[in-house]
Amino acid sequence: MSSQPSALRSYVDFYATGMRTQIATQFQYRAATYMYTLGMVTEPVIYLVVWRTIANQHGGTVDGTGAGQIAAYYIVWTLVRTFNIVFTPFGWEERIREGQLSSQLLRPLHPVHYDMATFAGHKIPWLVMYAPIAVALSLVFHPTLDPRPIEVVVFIVAIWGAYVIRSLNHFVLGMLTLLTTRATSIFQIWFLGELLVSGRLVPLTFMPPWAQSIAAWLPFKWTFYFPIEALVGGMPTHALLTGLLWQCFWTGVGCVLVWASFKVAIRHYSAVGN
Amino acid sequence: MPPVTAVVHVAGLEKVFRVPEREAGLRASVRSLYARRWRDVRAVDGVSFDLEPGEVVGFLGPNGAGKTTTLKMLSGLLHPTGGEVTVLGHVPWRRERDYLRRITLVMGNRNQLQWDLPALDSFELNRAIYRLPRQQFTETRDELIELLDIEDLVRKPVRQLSLGERMKVEVVGSLLHLPQVLFLDEPTIGLDVTMQKRIRNFVAAYNERYGATVLLTSHYMADVEALCKRVVVIHHGQMLFDGKLEALADRFGAYKTIEAVLADGETISMQVPRNETSSATARLLAENDVSDLTVEDPPIEDVIEQVFAS
Amino acid sequence: MKLAWTYLRLGVLNEMQYRANFFVAIVQSLLGVAVAIAVLALVYSKTNALNGWTQSELLVVLGVQILLGGVIHATVQPNMERLTQEVQDGKLDFALSKPADSQLLISLRELRLWQLVDVMSGGIVIAVGVSRLGRSVGVGHAFAFLALLVIGASLLYCFWLILATGSFWVVSMWFLSDLFEGIYQVGRWPIGVYPGWLRYSMTYLVPIGFAVTVPAQALTHRLAWTTVLVAVAFAIVVFLVARRFWRFGVTKYSGASA
Repeated sequence: MSSQPSALRSYVDFYATGMRTQIATQFQYRAATYMYTLGMVTEPVIYLVVWRTIANQHGGTVDGTGAGQIAAYYIVWTLVRTFNIVFTPFGWEERIREGQLSSQLLRPLHPVHYDMATFAGHKIPWLVMYAPIAVALSLVFHPTLDPRPIEVVVFIVAIWGAYVIRSLNHFVLGMLTLLTTRATSIFQIWFLGELLVSGRLVPLTFMPPWAQSIAAWLPFKWTFYFPIEALVGGMPTHALLTGLLWQCFWTGVGCVLVWASFKVAIRHYSAVGN
Repeated sequence: MPPVTAVVHVAGLEKVFRVPEREAGLRASVRSLYARRWRDVRAVDGVSFDLEPGEVVGFLGPNGAGKTTTLKMLSGLLHPTGGEVTVLGHVPWRRERDYLRRITLVMGNRNQLQWDLPALDSFELNRAIYRLPRQQFTETRDELIELLDIEDLVRKPVRQLSLGERMKVEVVGSLLHLPQVLFLDEPTIGLDVTMQKRIRNFVAAYNERYGATVLLTSHYMADVEALCKRVVVIHHGQMLFDGKLEALADRFGAYKTIEAVLADGETISMQVPRNETSSATARLLAENDVSDLTVEDPPIEDVIEQVFAS
Repeated sequence: MKLAWTYLRLGVLNEMQYRANFFVAIVQSLLGVAVAIAVLALVYSKTNALNGWTQSELLVVLGVQILLGGVIHATVQPNMERLTQEVQDGKLDFALSKPADSQLLISLRELRLWQLVDVMSGGIVIAVGVSRLGRSVGVGHAFAFLALLVIGASLLYCFWLILATGSFWVVSMWFLSDLFEGIYQVGRWPIGVYPGWLRYSMTYLVPIGFAVTVPAQALTHRLAWTTVLVAVAFAIVVFLVARRFWRFGVTKYSGASA
């Protein structure tokens, strides 16, 4: 196509506009967002407290990981978790029921872009509001955090990579809603898998070796464990870069699946109607 | 052969839905968990019509006649089971971007605007989605806003607007890309009379200014009378009528209303079967001292009612 | 009470229509239990006791947490979600205009029957935990356990009611369920593991310590009888506070606001 550069510009324009719109929306609900964050922060705080208790009972470490490192892991966890918030596959049912899917199909734009721009916009107000919480957590739990510059850079890239991968995966899951009435059960199983082998529950190194080798073949750890470890784990440079390559790989897989699942799901949807 | 000028070409359009049979009772619903029974519903069953550029056509039929299903097929949301549709030379269900940029589907009671933000922000988003040049977008936007007189409304968060106000900004939002074909599904539903009139006038103005083709469904015959010279009527998914609005009364109106003002000022109003109109008029004139006499077709609502009763 | 019975019947009938949800609830419950047990296994692969609690004892805590969670999800949460939604949409008039106690009414309108699956799974987890303790539970303790469960449920109800009453002042309360879910996870572990400030707020401010840990103490021979008295007194106080707060909140209700 001759209009290639202008197409790219159009996407950039769309993402910028979409994000701006969402930032404006989110700042309207500061109180609500704070409360939500508070509920969300309890999860890592619980894990952190439990593992710290164990560390303290065993001379200050769990499998060689010190209490300060555990604290760092779970505090960074919260930030990464924020970047893992994307449009939920459970939301598609309502979208179909309320006719929002139809509206989206009538736009000359793939719906995945709409969700990605929207939720990317969420991140900015979240970051602003999360900052004081992170400070408070650090004061209470004394994390050991001393990253090199390259770790910071890789971390910043990796949280966005995580965001993209998870957005794509959840879009594909959402498409299942259009194909089967049992989609919810599939989501449950998916989320279970994610919870167990993403590093969300515990640092993957605490898991038994067989679980770690399963994790290596799934996308989950690249959206959770990898970004956290990039900042707190003291990974060697080549491992950091390999991690980013893995994220690229899963992004590619996600793109293909989004494209294919959308095609199949919409063909089905437009055949059976709603 | 369809006329080459047709903007919308529909021939023998069909849509069959397979729906699960639902039976009452515990046992039946447990059985339906493993063995569902299906039933075919012919929602649209051989609909054909062509729309010329710039035409405003009313698309009528009782609830469940297949109007919305047809509109969804025309706008590309549904894949037809049979028949032929082209709009602006495109096959709608392929939903090519070039196609989507040239049409719009407005459904009453549907909200596409960002709930928490002023409509202006949603418009801006539409600009990005439809890839409109900024200058053209600003001009169109201001023009449409002025046409509907909603300068104040577009600055308020959408959630603070009343239903009617929301519909006005909604309509503007769906026309920013200056679509050449408008599918309007009950655009005035639930609105009060003044608001209906505003929307109606706006559609007329848009049609006139941009020469757009409009296919409109509405329960309010005032909308149809004001906007449409031609109507397409379907019932049970099948074509019932396609022609001039007045012809509808000629064909289906079972009676006419004769109104006479007598010399002493008294008014007589009577409904007579249409084939007896002339004899009744003659009798009336013979038996009374009539100073003024009018013979009218029944109101369009009544005609429509008659059409669907048959 | 007649009112309560009518609503219960309606709720059950309504839920029977959505049998597919039953399977979803079972899957959800099983997965939830599986994860929780996996976490316990993981924790106890690194240690023998957590803050003095053994794995079997923690299994009891977990069971109580799941069971109470099921009760709350089935009865309290749907009602409170509906309440906040109606306050936001200005649709609470229907409920307030009925000739019945408003608090009773808004607490009984919804029932998510299938969520009670968690009561069963929680019960099973408790049973397994108790059987592995190697010490039988006396009749007295069993009764204390049941009584404390009821107290726990009513504490959680009051907590939810106080949160939901806040919707009379704060427009958007969509986050309440997420907030409660998040905080309720605290109950999965004995309240003693948490640092002091968190322990106190999770006992008195947010009564999860009382609701979950205390009943579990009854089954694991850790219960001091004075705790029962404190729990009863505390529950009464919290209930009265919640009720007053609700009454006060209702007076702030202004109907449909923009």
